[in-house]
Amino acid sequence: MKWIIVTGESRGVGKAIAREILMEGTYGVIGISRSKGAEVEDLKQLGGEHFVHLTYDLENVEGIKSLYLQQLKRLGVIHGFVNNSAWAYDDIISNLRVDPLEKMFRINVLSPMHLTKYVIRDMLLNKTEGSIVHISSISAHTGYKGLSMYASTKGAIEAFSKNTAREWGARGIRSNCVIPGFMNTAMSASLTDEQKERIYRRNAMKKETAMASVVRTVLFLLSDQSSSITGTGIHVDNGTI
Amino acid sequence: MQDKLIVIVNDMCKDNGLPPLKRLDADQHLRDDLNMDSLMLAELTVRVESEFGVDIFEDGLVETMGDVIRKIEGHQGP
Repeated sequence: MKWIIVTGESRGVGKAIAREILMEGTYGVIGISRSKGAEVEDLKQLGGEHFVHLTYDLENVEGIKSLYLQQLKRLGVIHGFVNNSAWAYDDIISNLRVDPLEKMFRINVLSPMHLTKYVIRDMLLNKTEGSIVHISSISAHTGYKGLSMYASTKGAIEAFSKNTAREWGARGIRSNCVIPGFMNTAMSASLTDEQKERIYRRNAMKKETAMASVVRTVLFLLSDQSSSITGTGIHVDNGTI
Repeated sequence: MQDKLIVIVNDMCKDNGLPPLKRLDADQHLRDDLNMDSLMLAELTVRVESEFGVDIFEDGLVETMGDVIRKIEGHQGP
């Protein structure tokens, strides 16, 4: 079985990405999230043996080595990694608190970097010309009040992705980012309708980003159709310009 | 152990267009004598880890084949 790791596959964009990969049938999906399993039962029904869920809290950076050696490696060859999990600590900068900021960096930056380390090691070991896709955010490119700290985690990941691409391109390993505009997901649940409308008015198409468009872009970057694309980001944001 | 190690190294030499080694020598410098670059050293790390269960770069620099052998022997015990 050829596997693609999708973090945060229990809901939202991650779940839609996992579902689409399983529907296409080329790859199996290893989902990594805190979910105990009930939320991904439908993916299990859809994928059967092609879907494996691992319950893991990505705040635990130090445990990723054993997650790879004890569980991921034993499942088979990794062909792709979709870094989708994210945790948002939103506030204005003058209210910044270290503990939630550190938690967010562990989940959004440090764990994805550590997972990338082991994904690349797996690709080296198996001579896999794989694809890594990070889900970034429009907030790393356009300023929003209260999102500076969250945006900084996504900026870090974009820089990491670009340099990953440069470092491992010679081995056929690609790394790219998808940069979605605002979607009505659990991540933006705390925003009022008025705030959402104000955000949507900032893009050329004056509406919410379609999740299906984000998902198909991820699938494209995972596939051989994008074999000459690496070290870049694709904005799927209704033209937030 | 050294028989397995030379197979790993020569596999990598073949993939990278380098001449195979006839024998392993503890004094062989991985970069200067074996012409391994950083990506080849990364590949050596994962191949050794897969075969012997030890990450040779985890706790410091490894420069010679002797360093690699010592890390593997240290992990395997006497």
